[in-house]
Amino acid sequence: MPLSPAPIPLLLMRLLFAAIAFLLACCAPLAQADAPAEIIAKAVLLDDKSEEQIALIRSGEPSPELLALLTLWKEGGIFLVEGPEGTKIPVTLEDAKDADDKQAARLLLTRQPYLGPDGKPIRLLASDLNAAETDSDLRSAMKSILDLAGLASPDRSARLQAVETLGMEQDPLRLPALRARISKETDSEIQHALKEAVALTELKDADPATVTLACRALGELGSIRSQDALRLLAKDGHPAARTAQDALRKIEQHLQTVNIWGTLFRGLSLGSVLLVAALGLAVTFGLMGVINMAHGEMIAVGAYTTYVVQCIFGPGLELSPFGIHIVLPSMKATGWLYDSYFLFAIPLSFLTAARAGVVLERCVIRFLYRRPLESLLATWGVSLVLQQLFRLTFGANNVQVASPNWLSGHWLINDVSLGWNRVFVIGFAAAIVLGVFLLLARTPLGLLMRAVMQNRTMAACMGVRTERVNLLTFGLGSGLAGLAGAFLSQIGNVGPSLGQSYIVDAFMTVVVGGVGSLFGTIFSALGIGMADQALQQILGNPVLGKILVLVGIILFLQWRPAGLFVTRSRSLDN
Amino acid sequence: MNPQPRREIFAAGALALLLLVLMPALNAWAPEDSFFYVSNFTINVWGKYLAYGILAISVDLLWGFTGLLSLGQALFFSLGGYMLGMHLMLMIGKLGQYKSDLPDFMVFLGHTFLPTFWRPFYSFGVTALLVFLVPMLLAKGFGYLAFRSRIKGVYFSILTQALTYGASLMFFRNDMLMGGNNGFTDFKFLLGGDMRSAATQRTLYICTGIALLAVYFGCRWLTRTKFGLIQRAIRDSETRVLFSGYSAANYKLFVFVVAAGIAALGGALYVPQVGIINPSEMTPDKSLEAVVWVAVGGRGTLVGPVLGAVVINALKSWATRAIPDMWLILLGSMFLLVVLFLPKGLISVPGLIRDFLQRHRKPASPETPAPTPAPKVSAS
Amino acid sequence: MKLINKSAQALLALAGMAFTHSAVAADTVKVGVLHSLSGTMAISETSLRDVLLFTFDEINAKGGVMGKKIEPVVVDGASNWPLFAEKAKQLLEKDKTAAVFGCWTSVSRKSVLPVFEKNNGLLFYPVQYEGEEESKNVFYTAEAVNQQATPAVDYMLAKKKEKFYLIGSDYVYPQTTNLVLLEYLLSKGVPLENIGGGFKKDSSGKIISAGKYTPFGHTDYQQIVAEIKQFAAGGKACVINTLNGDTNVPFFKEYAAAGLTAESCPVVSFSISEDEFRALPAKQLVGQLGCWTYFESIKSDANKTFVSNFQKWLKETTVDGVKKEGRVTCSPMVLSYDGVYLWKAAVEKAGSFDVDKVRAALQSGISFDGPGGKVTTQSNMHLTKNVFIGETKADGQFKILKEYKDVFGQPWLKGTFKAK
Repeated sequence: MPLSPAPIPLLLMRLLFAAIAFLLACCAPLAQADAPAEIIAKAVLLDDKSEEQIALIRSGEPSPELLALLTLWKEGGIFLVEGPEGTKIPVTLEDAKDADDKQAARLLLTRQPYLGPDGKPIRLLASDLNAAETDSDLRSAMKSILDLAGLASPDRSARLQAVETLGMEQDPLRLPALRARISKETDSEIQHALKEAVALTELKDADPATVTLACRALGELGSIRSQDALRLLAKDGHPAARTAQDALRKIEQHLQTVNIWGTLFRGLSLGSVLLVAALGLAVTFGLMGVINMAHGEMIAVGAYTTYVVQCIFGPGLELSPFGIHIVLPSMKATGWLYDSYFLFAIPLSFLTAARAGVVLERCVIRFLYRRPLESLLATWGVSLVLQQLFRLTFGANNVQVASPNWLSGHWLINDVSLGWNRVFVIGFAAAIVLGVFLLLARTPLGLLMRAVMQNRTMAACMGVRTERVNLLTFGLGSGLAGLAGAFLSQIGNVGPSLGQSYIVDAFMTVVVGGVGSLFGTIFSALGIGMADQALQQILGNPVLGKILVLVGIILFLQWRPAGLFVTRSRSLDN
Repeated sequence: MNPQPRREIFAAGALALLLLVLMPALNAWAPEDSFFYVSNFTINVWGKYLAYGILAISVDLLWGFTGLLSLGQALFFSLGGYMLGMHLMLMIGKLGQYKSDLPDFMVFLGHTFLPTFWRPFYSFGVTALLVFLVPMLLAKGFGYLAFRSRIKGVYFSILTQALTYGASLMFFRNDMLMGGNNGFTDFKFLLGGDMRSAATQRTLYICTGIALLAVYFGCRWLTRTKFGLIQRAIRDSETRVLFSGYSAANYKLFVFVVAAGIAALGGALYVPQVGIINPSEMTPDKSLEAVVWVAVGGRGTLVGPVLGAVVINALKSWATRAIPDMWLILLGSMFLLVVLFLPKGLISVPGLIRDFLQRHRKPASPETPAPTPAPKVSAS
Repeated sequence: MKLINKSAQALLALAGMAFTHSAVAADTVKVGVLHSLSGTMAISETSLRDVLLFTFDEINAKGGVMGKKIEPVVVDGASNWPLFAEKAKQLLEKDKTAAVFGCWTSVSRKSVLPVFEKNNGLLFYPVQYEGEEESKNVFYTAEAVNQQATPAVDYMLAKKKEKFYLIGSDYVYPQTTNLVLLEYLLSKGVPLENIGGGFKKDSSGKIISAGKYTPFGHTDYQQIVAEIKQFAAGGKACVINTLNGDTNVPFFKEYAAAGLTAESCPVVSFSISEDEFRALPAKQLVGQLGCWTYFESIKSDANKTFVSNFQKWLKETTVDGVKKEGRVTCSPMVLSYDGVYLWKAAVEKAGSFDVDKVRAALQSGISFDGPGGKVTTQSNMHLTKNVFIGETKADGQFKILKEYKDVFGQPWLKGTFKAK
């Protein structure tokens, strides 16, 4: 084996690169026959014939203009309008909107304003138009063109994505471009990705020595995406098989670390979901001793409120419960304004659910403070009625709640993926726990609440209006459930039976934590979340994990019947 | 408790005569187009109601008499059903879709031999034993743990709810080899009788009626013994019972196990009549539904639960056809109203009417001159 | 007055009195509609009730079936399987319906099957199912596995996908479909290690379950999506999704949040039609694939007429509980619609409402030009129909990518594909 195997292939590569560059230069004048706008305009009109479209967009030189148009098309920014005699004219819309939300149109081909028969520029409403369609083949072709160009993109995430896709293609022709980028790149994560992409591509090299080096490099990098490629090498008696096996082992180790951290994060986020769902219950059940089986429906009230707010920000909403026709107005917001709907939905869902809770307390619960078992039964009746009311109002179908853009994305830290919505739920849980704690510990209302819950008769004797405090406490508990609903709408279903999926878990969390103790609820929620995710990871089966957690809870309560944190009391029957 | 026990027995007897003798007889011998003919459908539906009645008694024995609101009764009910279902599945023999000795769902999943725990179910005798044994052992184990650590009241309800929920998750899994979500269906034979024939269904109906009667008299006897007295004492104040030197835990455990057995019996009679058992029968909601029957019928009595089970299920049969959209609202609000305004259930209605009528008559008599609204005036 | 009437009926029902119905009145014929209008399955099944009532109205407006008006008997199975059996008994034994249209889940069909066989009734079943069943009392207008799953896999193979991750809800349809797909993939030369989701083997080492399963109502898909992400890291992977309707929401929300897209790892779903789509986060689903025997976006005249007539009917109808806003049409709805017309054609061919004669007519091969193209009945009580692969768009519709013409419905598939 030569001591330094690199120079020769490298030289070859360079030659090849030069040749390609030369060829491209020669072709350029030919390709110029079609300007980027013409190519795209032609391709757009070949609707439904994706193979021809792909050939066409590949034929053009990847100039910034072409790339910009491709991006625009991919994101649905090119529209087809009906021209004279049924022809279709591709147009784009300018950014500025007028009072009717209309935008001025420009012809794609000439970049001139699109003029009507009267010679005036035509203004159009984006939602009325048909966007030029794309299918998955066409989009991946667009993406590969964009990626190659994206290597030099000033946008960090675009660059990263470009590198990852190119690496996966394992196309030796891309090597020079990738290598050239390594020296220029300053961002460490992209550096890492570039090295990975280069090594991945080198696995396809004819020279076993290069392949061996590449394998080693991939092992060092802990490259998850190269596993499949390495497995192929490790099997078929290739000279690099042993190195590939070593690399696989290293990647496996890396994967284990990733999984441990991933499980921790997922456990934390599941725990936060449980906490958010159970916190309202911890207040009504824990502090008041009322078993509210309709707690789940209070969560659903919050979720539906979020849905209604979203609809008001977006397309509006028509409902016809019991034959009464209700039309909710629409703000037709888009962009960041639309995305901000969630910020309005959070307080509104708290208020709506709290209001529903107050009504429930006035009409039902207050008669049952001395009969906890019966409050369980009566609220179950309420929960049935509410579920059917949701069904009659919003339809039996689940409704669609779209996450705002700032909640749909993720960070990738050392291959552990942290979803923004999950990070948000953790922060959200922390914030409302803090809020509830401050309310109970630092405000006069909190003082009264605690007093009434500790000794109702004594508090009444001291002049506390216990009825009112009950009402407010129950309202608070229901409001917290509403907040949970607003949040759960971002990660799951919104439908009539939404509450049912969380109620058993929520009860468990409160009971394990110790009724009457907020801290207990926090600990038990996180504990149950972690245990659930860890068991899922170990057993590879989502249901078994859950069953084991339930069994664990039953056994745990043998050991500590009153839960983690016991509220001491001198009363015998409590 | 019962001022006129004779009258109660007489009423029960008359009802039993009507349901157990008259209805099957009319079903079997009345000509099909006559007014008196009772259709197979009616027999079948009433068989279901009566099986539910048995379940309701088991709920009431715990809740009405001992103060334990168990949300696990649906689990014991379905377990009983599952045990008999396993026997019925094996009795299908080669008549299933696959013409195989194995139950269809196993062939479906690619099994080639019968798992060991299924084998005993070839024998009806062993099955009949296991129908009681399995749910009662589970109740014993769970009850022992729960009562030993003095879990009571609402906590007991929540814990039994968790047990039921966990079990239903378990049975939903196809890996469990109990038919998964589809459960057991398409039964063919029971003790040699063709399950589709009217005669078999009629026999099952009569068996259910007899079982209900037996359970009724058994519980009636039990609740009138000294044991029943302690049972009610536990309901009213467990601490005082403890201080009086009784081991409340043992008493509760005994009732819990007996109730599990009764529920299992109901389940075993229910399954062959409806022809299907699947895990959605053992969700906490089903337990709560049974509690509704008891609450509506009248808890703390033995007739009330049966009455509630029959009335609500008949209402359900009707409402799911006539007003499907309103059924849940109807059920929910009925329940709410009963809990709030009629804590003793339907069974107390005649008594209330009697009281009302007596009170109405009273103003006429000279001994009580004060009219009814008087207390209100004095209070304000 | 109506209320009194209803309560009178209730009283009669309570008393359990057997009042004899006139089975088929002179100018009407009774047919049953057996769907869940409450409970968890109401999500999907109410749409089918609506489309059936629409179809009956449409047929009645044109003179009915053999001169008799269709009189629907609508009952609610309430997502409760024993109740389904009871309702089926009621429809067949008390109401003496000539045919019944209904059921969605496999378990509801299994629950009513003995009732139909005992009473020699006729059930039209419209929803994709696992096969492995053939009853002379059920006509399966539904998609068999080879009319949905295997064409979709063919399509993915043609798109050069090499790795397949199987995920589904834990019930028979996904379990069976995945076992069939496992055999199919192996027969196409896909190695076992390229099939993700895990396997379960019995003691002899035979695979008895393939893929990852979650229960109904499962809400937490973090772990599974993390696994898919690692599975798909090397590219050329796709997900075959048989999750039941509403668990798709948390799944796809998690899928999108993890940065997986239709381009990096497409998902082919078999249980998401236009109707379910209404509840899904459309933005995050763009480009994912679906496979059905009908899409609302089919550009045929038959389909356009069907869609516009149905929308018109929705506006005008006075039936309680029909939601009028934002309605779409989807494959199970069209298969219900086709079922009614096929039954009508069979009755007219047989010249009788008698089940045996109608069945013979159905088995002889009847064609109907439905909204999804021509469908033809087969002697095994299934339907030959066209299969479409579509790609989801942001507006909740599917863009049709590929059409397989006249696919023969084949219920018995397990063991038919042999590994190379």
